[in-house]
Amino acid sequence: MTRPALELRGIVKTYDTTRAVDDVDLEVVAGEIHALCGENGAGKSTLAQIATGTLAATAGEIACTGTIGLVRQHFELAGRLRVWENIVLGREPQRGIRLDARAARTRVRDLATRTGLHVDPDAVVETLAIGIVQRVEILRVLGSEPSVLVLDEPTAALSPGEAETLFATLRALARTGTAILIITHNLADVLAHADRVTVLRAGRVTLRALAAQTTTDVLARAMVGGELPALPARERAAVRERLVAHAIGTTDGGLRDATFAIGASEIVGVAGIEGNGQAQLVDVLAGMRAHTGTLALGSDVLVPGNPHARIARGIRTIAGDRQREGLVLAWSVAENVVLGDQSRAEMRRGVLVDRGARERRARAIVADFDVRTPSIATPIAALSGGNQQKIVVGRALGFAPQILVAYAPTRGIDVGAAALVHARLLEARNAGVGILLVSFELDELFTLADRLVVLCGGTIVHACARADFDKTRIGTFMAGASS
Amino acid sequence: MRRPRGGARTNAIAALVLVAIACIAMLVAGTNPIAGFAALARGSLGGPHQLAETLVQATSLLFPALAVAFAFRAGFFNIGAEGQLVMGGLAAGLVGAIVPGPGPVAIVAMLAAGALGGAAWGTIAGGLRARFGGSEVVATLMLNVIAALLANFLVVGPLRAIGAESGETPSLALDRTLPVLFAGTRLTIAFPLALLIAAALWFFLARTVAGYTLRAVGDAPLAAARAGIDLPRMAVFAFAISGAIAGLGGATIVAGVLHRFNVALSPGYGFIAIAVALVGNLDPPYIVLAALGFGILQNGSLAMQSLAHVPKDAVTIVEGLAIVALAARRSIARRTA
Repeated sequence: MTRPALELRGIVKTYDTTRAVDDVDLEVVAGEIHALCGENGAGKSTLAQIATGTLAATAGEIACTGTIGLVRQHFELAGRLRVWENIVLGREPQRGIRLDARAARTRVRDLATRTGLHVDPDAVVETLAIGIVQRVEILRVLGSEPSVLVLDEPTAALSPGEAETLFATLRALARTGTAILIITHNLADVLAHADRVTVLRAGRVTLRALAAQTTTDVLARAMVGGELPALPARERAAVRERLVAHAIGTTDGGLRDATFAIGASEIVGVAGIEGNGQAQLVDVLAGMRAHTGTLALGSDVLVPGNPHARIARGIRTIAGDRQREGLVLAWSVAENVVLGDQSRAEMRRGVLVDRGARERRARAIVADFDVRTPSIATPIAALSGGNQQKIVVGRALGFAPQILVAYAPTRGIDVGAAALVHARLLEARNAGVGILLVSFELDELFTLADRLVVLCGGTIVHACARADFDKTRIGTFMAGASS
Repeated sequence: MRRPRGGARTNAIAALVLVAIACIAMLVAGTNPIAGFAALARGSLGGPHQLAETLVQATSLLFPALAVAFAFRAGFFNIGAEGQLVMGGLAAGLVGAIVPGPGPVAIVAMLAAGALGGAAWGTIAGGLRARFGGSEVVATLMLNVIAALLANFLVVGPLRAIGAESGETPSLALDRTLPVLFAGTRLTIAFPLALLIAAALWFFLARTVAGYTLRAVGDAPLAAARAGIDLPRMAVFAFAISGAIAGLGGATIVAGVLHRFNVALSPGYGFIAIAVALVGNLDPPYIVLAALGFGILQNGSLAMQSLAHVPKDAVTIVEGLAIVALAARRSIARRTA
C-alpha cells in the first residue's frame, strides 16, 4: 500500500479539562474519498483544523506529503468583493503591478466549468444565497490545486443536485490522485460516495469501515452511541385548509404566481433546488416581504410585511440562517427562548420581562428537545449547531402555532439532532399544526411530507400527494421540466 | 459579539500601557512624570473642593455617556450627543429665562425642556435613519454642527429680545439654579440625578420587555426583525431617548454649573462621552465608574498644567489612546470570536 498522503497518529487536543480529540489515528491515501463522521461536538472540525495546521494539537504526529486545502464550514469570504475576486485572492494574476482582471475572470470561469460548480464570477458575494457562497468557497480552495483536500460539511448548504455535482467533481479529483477527507453528517452521502469512513464520538474513533460494507444504521449507532429517537406514527387526520395562498409573487420576480394551501395536521413539503424561490416564499409567509396576490389564514386576509402580526396570528418561522436570523448569539439560552414571544402575556409581567417564566420555558425546551448545554445561562454561541437548532425549533413550536414555516430545519446538524427535529415536527403535525417544510434533501421530504410542491424558477411546477412520491419524477421537475 | 467582555487582565495591561504612554508624553513635555501624576491626583482628589469639582466633571460626562451607550445598545452609533447636549442646554436656558413661576417649578420645567430639546434633536437623526436607512454616524455628526451654529445664531440674534448678549442667555435667578449638595462647591443634585438615570437605564435594559427588544435590535438586527420587532420604530425610539438623556445633561450644566446657556457650554463632553461609554463596556454601572475616572483626568489635568507645567493636552492624548485601544480590542475580539 502506498504511503498515505495525510497521516495522523495519536492526535490529542484538550481544552481546559475536556478532551475534544482523544488519541485519534487517521490516514487518507491519494485517490480515495475518506469520510469522517460524527455528531456536532464529536471533534471532527477540531481534527480537520489540526490536520490542516490551523490549530495546534496537544499531542500526536501529523505527516503530510504535499499541500492541504481546507474548505471551511463557516467560510469567511470578503462579502463586499465579487466572486472572482474572492477566488483569486492571494494568487491574483498580474500584469505588471496591476491586477489582470480579465485573466482572473477567465481563470474562474474555467475552474467553474471544469468542476461543474457554476457561479456568476461578477456577482457580489454578500448578495448570494448561502448555497452559492459555499460553492464559491469550494472553488476558492480548488483553485490552489491541493494534494490533500479537506472539506468540512461541504454539502450542508447545497441542494441535492449541487451535492451530486460536487461529489462527481470530488471523484474526478480523486482519480487524478488527490486525497480527499470529507467531514459530514449526511450518512447517505457517505454510503453513496465515500471509499472509507471513520466515525468519531466524543473525540474517539468508534468505527472504521469500508463504505461499501456498512449501513446507515451501523454508522448512526456509532455516531450517537445508541438508538436514534424514533419517528412517531403518522396519524390520519381530515385535512381542513388553514392557510391559503393565491397567486403569490414577489417584486424581484423570485417567486411568481404561487397558489397553494396548508391544512391543519399536514406537512406540505417544498422540493426544489435552492435559489428557486424558497427564500422568497418563506419570507412572504413570515411577513418579511411585500408581495402580490393574497394570503389568507382561515377567513382573514393577511396584510403583507408585518412579521409581528404573523407571529400574533400563530404563524411561526424557522429561518434558514439560524445564527443570524434565528438567534442572538451574544445572549444566553434563556434569553433566546423568548425571542419572538417577548410581547406575549405569558412571557411578561406588565412591561417587565417575566424571568421566572423565561427560565421555566428554557428548561422545558432543554428537557423536551434534549439540548446539550451546561446550563440555560450558557451563551447560545457556545452550543453546537444541532443544539442551537433544537432551541429554535422548540421556541417556534412552544405556543401551539397555527402554521409553522421551516426552511431547511435540519441543515448542517447531526443525525441525532435531525432525527429529534423530525420527530417533533411530525408530533406537531399530529397535534394539529399545519407545516410548510422547505428542504433540499428529498429523503427528508419523503419521510415527513404529506404532500409535495416542487419549486423551479420561482413557480410551482408540480404538486403531488404522498402516495405519488417518486424520486426520479420529482428530480426532473426540480431540474426544470414542467407538468 | 457586539460587547466583548475583555478579561480583567487585558484591561489591567491596557491601563498600564496607557499610564506608560502618559509618562512618555510627560517626559517629552519636559516634566517629571511622578510630579505630573502627583499634581493630577492632588488636583482631582486632594481635598473636598477638588473632589466636588471632579464629580461635577464626571456628571457632565455621565449624561452624554449614558446617551451614547443607550443608542449603542440598540446598534446605533450616536456621535451626536454633543449636539443633543447643546440643544437641551439651549432649551433649558430659554425656559429658565422666560418661564414665570416659583424656582422649583422653573427648575423642573428647565430639566424637562432640556430632555425634550435633546430628544427632538436626536429624533431627527433617528427619523432619518428609519426613513432613509442612511448612516446615523454622518447624520449625527452633521447635526452637531447645525446645533452649534443654530444655538449661536439664536443667542446672538433673535434671543437678544429676552436679554441675551455676547453668546449667552440671561443669567438665571439664584432660586432657579439646581440646589447645591455641599456649600461652597458647584456639586449639585445633578450628580445623584445622573446616578438615578444610570440605574434606570440598567433596569430598563435588563428587566423590561422594551429593553429586551432594544438589545435584540442591537445584537442581532436580522433575528430581531424576524421576531416581529419594528426596526425603524426602534431607531426613532433609541435616538429619542438617547437625545433626551444628553439634553438633560445639557440642562443640568445650564441650571447647575453655568447658570445660563452659553455657546461654549461643552468643551466636547459629547465626544469624550463616546470613550466613557466604551470604557464602561456600554453597561450603566461600569459607565458610572468610567465617568468618575474620566472626571479625575479632566479635572486633574488642569492642576497638572498649573502645578507641574504638564500641558493638559497630555490627558487628551491619553483619552485618545484609550479610544484607539478600545477600538483595537473590539476588532480583535470580533476576529477571534
